Amino acid sequence: MATHTEITESLKVFKDNYNGNERLKIMNRDWNRVVVIKATDIESLHTLKVQDGLVSLKEGAVENPNLTVISDSETLADIFYGDITPTEPYNNGTLRIIGQEDDIIRLDFISLMIWGE
Amino acid sequence: MKKVVSVSLGSSKRDHKVQVELLGEQFEISRMGTDGDFNRALEVLRELDGKVDAIGLGGIDVYLYVRQKRYAIHDGLKLVEAVKMTPVVDGSGLKNTLEREVVRILAENTGLLKKGMKVLMVSSLDRFGMAEALYDMGCDMTYGDLIFTMGMTYPIKTVAELEDIANRTLPDLVKMPFQMLYPTGKKQESQDEEKVRRFAGYYYEADVIAGDFHLIRRFMPAGMNGQTILTNTTTRDDVEFLRDKGIGTLATTTPEYEGRSFGTNVIEAAMVAILGKPLEQIAAEDYLELLRRLNFQPRILRLS
Repeated sequence: MATHTEITESLKVFKDNYNGNERLKIMNRDWNRVVVIKATDIESLHTLKVQDGLVSLKEGAVENPNLTVISDSETLADIFYGDITPTEPYNNGTLRIIGQEDDIIRLDFISLMIWGE
Repeated sequence: MKKVVSVSLGSSKRDHKVQVELLGEQFEISRMGTDGDFNRALEVLRELDGKVDAIGLGGIDVYLYVRQKRYAIHDGLKLVEAVKMTPVVDGSGLKNTLEREVVRILAENTGLLKKGMKVLMVSSLDRFGMAEALYDMGCDMTYGDLIFTMGMTYPIKTVAELEDIANRTLPDLVKMPFQMLYPTGKKQESQDEEKVRRFAGYYYEADVIAGDFHLIRRFMPAGMNGQTILTNTTTRDDVEFLRDKGIGTLATTTPEYEGRSFGTNVIEAAMVAILGKPLEQIAAEDYLELLRRLNFQPRILRLS
């Protein structure tokens, strides 16, 4: 089990890696989305906001997000630290993502562009 | 008579059966669509196993080639593994050879492809050979994989960037459910109206639109202006669809039998049946040699 602080740290690493990637900022310059990240086994909520190509992070949730990413704390920390990709937990049901299919694929794509081979 | 069956995840509306003679041998070639039903496709494949000479898989890729690297789509592999005795191919082995050849033929013998022409490849990772051949002959390329797969307004302009993105993402994307990456079943019969509206400009700006026909069709706006389509499989209805949209010329990479061109998976399956070799012993040169002996030429149809 990961702690809320570890999830926060993992999301900061994800945010910093994203914002340091010029190509991703261009790719997503018109993809303005709010993503809530929710742990199932501990009290932990975060919001990632993608606006004009940049990602910002805050603790807590907002109403009516475009995407909601739900999993256990360990899986969330692993994904956002880049230790695992979202695909396998998504396929086996450990990770649930609520939102439009295009947005789900894009979120996966972004993580692969950050952490991929 | 040799029997070749294409089992497709696509619509059963496109089913057909023809008899043709290839290199003096009679072939019965048929297609069976399963309307996107994956389990039905598995049943059909198990049913055909050992009863036909070769099976083609349509509506799904098993292998994606990016230069020397080969990525296996997990859902595609599940279908292949359902068949124990009959050789199964998805067309990718032939595609890499045939489609490079077709680009060369169209560039050398017709005015349909010229250096500097604007070419939109709606999807290119499923036909890297064509993507690379068009780039190498000096076309102004727009690879639309990210645009049309996930709505990202990011045209890829070079093979180098296409390769970089592919190598970063494909090892994982191939594990995703195939229907998230490619329209199957009923989706093949409809257009994605939102993307048609958002991305029409890419179609209008292109001289040539190339790639998988289902994807070309799914995102094509009305009011095209005499452009050329370079694709593989079309039916009579598809030809009418293109005519209605204002397309000028249709070039298909595979030959026409009874008003339709067959997918590369069917042609590759027929070639495997002719060659009679184990799949692992068949090389690109074998396909190239057969293409020459069969005198395969792209089909060119003027629509306006």
